[in-house]
Amino acid sequence: MEAHPTEPLDPEERDLFVRAPEDPAAREALVVRHRPLAEYLARRFQGRGEPVDDLIQVAMIGLLKAIDRFDPDRGVKFATYATATIVGELKRHFRDRGWSVRVPRRLQEMGLQVSRVVGELSQVLGRSPTVREISERTGLTEEEVIEAIDVASAYVPASLDAAPGEDDAPREFGVEEEAFELLEGWTSVAPAIRELPARERRILYLRFFRGLTQTQIAEDLGISQMHVSRLLARTLARLRTAASTAGAFDREGAEG
Amino acid sequence: MARRPPEITVSIPALPRYVHVLRAVVASVAARLDWAFDEIEDLRLMVDEACSRLVGPEGGAATLRLRVLVDDGGLTIEASTDRSVDRWPPEDPGQTLSRQILSTLADEVRFEPVDGRPSVLLRKHRDR
Repeated sequence: MEAHPTEPLDPEERDLFVRAPEDPAAREALVVRHRPLAEYLARRFQGRGEPVDDLIQVAMIGLLKAIDRFDPDRGVKFATYATATIVGELKRHFRDRGWSVRVPRRLQEMGLQVSRVVGELSQVLGRSPTVREISERTGLTEEEVIEAIDVASAYVPASLDAAPGEDDAPREFGVEEEAFELLEGWTSVAPAIRELPARERRILYLRFFRGLTQTQIAEDLGISQMHVSRLLARTLARLRTAASTAGAFDREGAEG
Repeated sequence: MARRPPEITVSIPALPRYVHVLRAVVASVAARLDWAFDEIEDLRLMVDEACSRLVGPEGGAATLRLRVLVDDGGLTIEASTDRSVDRWPPEDPGQTLSRQILSTLADEVRFEPVDGRPSVLLRKHRDR
């Protein structure tokens, strides 16, 4: 077979695409190879009201579709083909969820208010407040408080995602690392855990290995309780995605 | 006098983008029972994790059913689906992780078929 003028595929990659339909290992190798592209594209859709981990999951679905449909004989670069498929998938995701992409201002404000009051009441009461207590303090109905919690955990303002400062440097880095290596189940996502920002890793460690409550973690890190639950939910979603490709990670070696 | 609903059942399409409905239902039930904010957040994480094991890919027609049973000692949450799966509990790499996460958040975790349906059973005691 003659080489294409622009040589869009290296022979190794070409071989993987030829084998992929029959060989799960080849397909996984392609997923691992092109995962950064999916993540990159997902991040370009950040800040539109969807958690970035959800976006990465959507992008990964697009990547899988691209891998399954790509024809290595077409003379097109896979990255070009995959970008179109992944972006298409991301756009469809936003279209499907059109009703929820934009959070009404009223709800955003309620979310901020509830977040602040939860912090205040936790200080005063020395424990996590109930929804009724939050409702009494804010003057919102219990329904509104519940709605605000739901909205606030899904829709995080971009500013809260800012890179952690110096203070967030892990204090027990070694301990956390060891803890995750020790427990069955977590080893499959160890590479993903290593990639987490220090603060997310610490929250994960404090909640799942030290058994601290979300209130205690909020105190420990000096951030709001709602922010803790938001980061936890997101971190778990991220690990789920990692676990679903863990087989590929194992084969690739420990590096994530 | 507080009315205590003995059982609440909700069904959604077994797709990831509907899971937020179930999170909201569980949060609402727990809030009405005066559970603390961080317990409610844990319940929401539990529902997320359990449902992630049960939902199927986009385009599927299966249903995800969530039952919440309330008693004085706490909440029992049973999530199940009519989606056909090869094996329950699943044996993929995510399974041990899911079990670990759920057993930190819940007091009891069982992956057992209910009426032949793949399901996750969770029990959370009342702390206070």
